[in-house]
Amino acid sequence: MYNLIRRDLILQKKQLIFYVPFILLFIITGKNPALIYLLSSILIPFNAYAYDEKTQTNILLNSLPYTRKEIVTARYIGAIIFMIISMVITNLLLVIFGQSFTISQMAIGSGLFILFSATAFPLFYIIKPGHISTVLMITLIFLIFTGPSLYFYIVEQLPFITDIVNRLSDVTLYSSATVFVIFSYSISWLITIVIYQRKVF
Amino acid sequence: MSENVIELRNLSRKFKGFELNVNLDIKKGYITGLIGGNGAGKSTTIKLIMNLIKPDNGDIKVFGLDYKTHEKEIKERIGFVYDSNVFYEGLNLKDIKRIVAPAYKRWDEALFSQYIDRFELPLNKSIKTFSKGMQMKASLALALSHHSELIIMDEPTAGLDPMFRREFLHLLQQIMLDEQRSILFSTHITTDLERIADYIALMQYGHVLFNEALETLTEQYFIIKGGLDLLDRDTAKYFIHIERWSNTFSALTNRLSEVDNLFGDTVVVEQASLEDIMYYLKGAKQYVQLN
Repeated sequence: MYNLIRRDLILQKKQLIFYVPFILLFIITGKNPALIYLLSSILIPFNAYAYDEKTQTNILLNSLPYTRKEIVTARYIGAIIFMIISMVITNLLLVIFGQSFTISQMAIGSGLFILFSATAFPLFYIIKPGHISTVLMITLIFLIFTGPSLYFYIVEQLPFITDIVNRLSDVTLYSSATVFVIFSYSISWLITIVIYQRKVF
Repeated sequence: MSENVIELRNLSRKFKGFELNVNLDIKKGYITGLIGGNGAGKSTTIKLIMNLIKPDNGDIKVFGLDYKTHEKEIKERIGFVYDSNVFYEGLNLKDIKRIVAPAYKRWDEALFSQYIDRFELPLNKSIKTFSKGMQMKASLALALSHHSELIIMDEPTAGLDPMFRREFLHLLQQIMLDEQRSILFSTHITTDLERIADYIALMQYGHVLFNEALETLTEQYFIIKGGLDLLDRDTAKYFIHIERWSNTFSALTNRLSEVDNLFGDTVVVEQASLEDIMYYLKGAKQYVQLN
């Protein structure tokens, strides 16, 4: 399992250096840290999929002594590990550049990343190779630009939702969000295992 | 009595416009060549053996074990070589080894270095700069360095130049000095197998037509050439398939003594090559149904 996760780093070792200036760009332009956490977490696991959508790669992985379950599970555990690493690096950069960040921003960033992964990972095995990365990138960029205004729109138009959210204590809010995120990720993991086990290479 | 390293029992898999139905035993300690034309089902059979495709029905046993319960144990003992490069193109051999090696419990670093030296492979050059022959050697080095007991190769010699093919086949023979080892090798270049194979399995239209010792085949099948005037309804039945030319014929038979009695010196008898056998059997569909 560990070897499958380490493989992503070996594959991307040349790209890794470019990830730091990418994160820096967002820090310098003063984007919300929650957004930066989300974006920096996405880099490694989603680039890894660019390799894995090739049939050849799947033939290789499945010819080695791994089970299909392990291959999928490594993907899901790896994404969390890379997320944590990216957040640590992002925090370091934020500190270096004298910008502040809060725990709740970290929670929102990681929560969004996990939800995004939970949606995207099964799709990687359903949608035809070659299309999925483009689809996801466009979706993500679209969300980044329209997301905040969409959020404010909802807040204005649907005051009762904000009302409920406001009435909940922070503890209830965060713990229910956490449960929801973990639940989605687990379901997604199980679905991907089922899909991957049926694949033909 | 010899043991089987692979046993396929009533194995079936349906695809659009193609159906595979296979019964096949691969003997332990020998080189078995899997031959057949394009689309005969060789690659599909190999993929089923590697668990890359799951069968609709039937059983696959490798080393007597089932994939359902022993997937990792089975793959641990298999070395694979495919016709296309399945390794990440942008990586060099050293990085590919760093990905492949830790997957195997029995990986032997010293053995790998030995093969790298012997095959004269560069460790730091990206694999996409490798020639087809070098890629094949790289695959083979990776397949051999974890003390694999069964080596499965899908069209390993396709696209190799003749010199390199000979070298590659020679290598396989050396590998086989270890008598516990078995090789299953699919190819449509049958002359390769005439040099090294112990057993030949012929596939056609998704079925295995025969799986015989190479010696048995060469003792059994002959090409008969003679004048067309010799052929009539009665004599034609001694042949599996007949090719007719303007006034001569050539035909494949597995009933040499009868043909010999019948025609004597009026015909020319030649030993059939694997290619002859494959070609004539393909022409004789009724033979397929008889078996």
